[in-house]
Amino acid sequence: MQKFKILLITLFGFIYLTACEKKESTGPIKIAAIEPLSGPYAAVGKDIIDTVTYSASVINKNGGINGRMIEIVPMDNAMKAEKTTELLRKAIDDGIRFITQGGGSSHALNIIKQLEKYNSRNPGKEVLFLNNSAVTTSFTNEDCTFFHFRFDSNVDMKVAGLVSHMSKDNSVKKVYLFNQNYVYGQTFRKTATRMLEKNAPRIKIVGDELIQPFGKVQDFNPYITKIKLSGADTVLTGNWGPDAYRFVNALKDSGLKVKLFGIYISQPAGMAAMGKNLLFNDVVVVKEFNPTNSNAPSWYKEFEKGHIEATGWTPDADRMRFMFEMFKSAIEKSNSFEPKDIAYALEGMEGKSIDGGKVVMRADDHQIHFDMQALLLSEKQEQSILYRNQDFDMSYVNVGNIPMEDITLDTSCEMKRP
Amino acid sequence: MSIEVLLFIIFNGLLYGMFLFMLSSGLTLIFGMMGILNFAHASFFMIGAYLGYQISLYSNFWIAIFFAPIIVGYMGAMVEKYGLRNIHKYGHIAELLFTFGLFYIIEELVQMIWGKTPVSYKVPELLNFPLIQISGMDYPAYSIFRLVLSILIFLAIYRVLSKTKTGLIIKASLTNPEIVAALGHNVPRVFSNVFGFGCGLAGLAGVMAGNVIGTEPSMALLLGPIVFVVVVTGGLGSIKGALVASLIIGMMQTAAVSLELNLNNAFQYLGFNVDVNSILNHFTSITISQLSPIVPYLLLIIILIARPRGLFGKRDV
Repeated sequence: MQKFKILLITLFGFIYLTACEKKESTGPIKIAAIEPLSGPYAAVGKDIIDTVTYSASVINKNGGINGRMIEIVPMDNAMKAEKTTELLRKAIDDGIRFITQGGGSSHALNIIKQLEKYNSRNPGKEVLFLNNSAVTTSFTNEDCTFFHFRFDSNVDMKVAGLVSHMSKDNSVKKVYLFNQNYVYGQTFRKTATRMLEKNAPRIKIVGDELIQPFGKVQDFNPYITKIKLSGADTVLTGNWGPDAYRFVNALKDSGLKVKLFGIYISQPAGMAAMGKNLLFNDVVVVKEFNPTNSNAPSWYKEFEKGHIEATGWTPDADRMRFMFEMFKSAIEKSNSFEPKDIAYALEGMEGKSIDGGKVVMRADDHQIHFDMQALLLSEKQEQSILYRNQDFDMSYVNVGNIPMEDITLDTSCEMKRP
Repeated sequence: MSIEVLLFIIFNGLLYGMFLFMLSSGLTLIFGMMGILNFAHASFFMIGAYLGYQISLYSNFWIAIFFAPIIVGYMGAMVEKYGLRNIHKYGHIAELLFTFGLFYIIEELVQMIWGKTPVSYKVPELLNFPLIQISGMDYPAYSIFRLVLSILIFLAIYRVLSKTKTGLIIKASLTNPEIVAALGHNVPRVFSNVFGFGCGLAGLAGVMAGNVIGTEPSMALLLGPIVFVVVVTGGLGSIKGALVASLIIGMMQTAAVSLELNLNNAFQYLGFNVDVNSILNHFTSITISQLSPIVPYLLLIIILIARPRGLFGKRDV
């Protein structure tokens, strides 16, 4: 009897599983979003998932893609490499063919390397990686692969944008490099040094610091003292998280006036910790759009309104929106749900940016290209920054446009196409 | 090195060192005197910071700095009474595992209540102005307030432990509990109180530091290890040792940040250069400044090898 029961359960299990298999081609398009949702980086991961989920829901509201809806499957890697590996395997086992990830370049590289192996061994079952925010340059240079697409500008492009803007600012004469000592910070520092020497030779580098990353430094006073003694008028930094907001707060306390140029200093997750301290020094960041532009077109205003209603905060990145729009266009263009066909369709594809320009997915290295803006944090203008239902009474002001040509760089990628 | 740099090292080191002392003074009592490996010490620090934020949201900072440590201390006493006391008989490993679990529970609870992002816990307006200036660098009144308060706390603990009858009973309860009990003192209660007091000190440190380093769920994880370094380096159970160790670590770390020297400089001094593109350069180009965060742990290892009882300790770890 016992054996019979087991047999019966197994049988039903099989029927159920095969039924599920069949549903795959008509059911939702599942996209696994692997991000840290617990541990010290939970806030960053949650923000990415929020915007990814909302952007997908907008596609769904407008009828989905060729009749199928997108389903985001959030997966928590707790910022641990072995968990990313495990979750990727689980996603593949569950029949998920699309992965999106952004928090942490080390994890993105992990996914790239694993998929490279998996995709070459399993033709016809390929998995596509839509990288939403992992910016280490090598992914679209020496580590490039066909099934990886990056929808964010890479470190080199961001730094090129910052340097291009700095070179136009005559008050910038002596710059201090201040970065985190891991793959991203090191790339930032190397690129900044190279580009400052090449594109802005009048600017002198008076200091170069690599700090222990991820909140291990509690006391920034010694570093600020060093910056002060170096005579720098500007700090160029790629820091994010506690390493950024503790630094900003300590600068305010020390009363040291310098200009801050960076990428992630004003990341929403750290805003509550800084508040108006952010305005003590001029903070300039580069972004693909101005999140507090009250003159944005009405279709974007609608998107923004929905995002605020769904999550309680102003979208801080526009790339998730055009990532899904381009994903949709690629499926419609290729008329296929196969990752391989979608990948071919994505190559060279154009999407629209908020200010009427375009974003282009370069076919050579699968790196997106768009115009960037240099933004200065300021007191509230017409529209202010909201985060988790808190109004920070601050806005971004556009202080310079960085055209796509200025940040289009050569690639060393030698793409192998299947 | 100019006088200016030296002045900065001493002053920044003093400020950071006294912050470390505030953080670890409670653990000196708990781990150093009672011998309980409290892995969750920094979690009580975190609770202190969050309570400081919450209370100052409803009233003001001064009420928070008074009540938050008391609440945290009471929580600590309850943890000792209903948790640690029951597993004390199973030894250190059980205690360690218990507090290890507690650490994660507190982290999750904090995330559930206050969310995963940092909260906007602000320095009190009353003290938010530059008080002194050292060659162009401002030091806000709040930093000086923290410095003074931590010195006062050191003096108070030192006096209670060494000069009063309470201190005598505490020390005796820890070394000869049976005799103290026979004299009519409630030894378990003494244990609860010391543990609670230690946690309260961590809570106080949290209230004072949360608005400077940022109040967020990962702060306990990041500060967890350093408190053990201070206690072990200073010597188990020695409050004086904790103070000296904190100041040494503070000064060393601050000094290390200021040193832009690396092995390449040493090699150049000896007359040969390391190829910039070689693998060796990866190691030899690391500056002392970049290594500053590991300075405390280096010190810990040296102390454990050379003098296992720490600077002022009376018994080995």
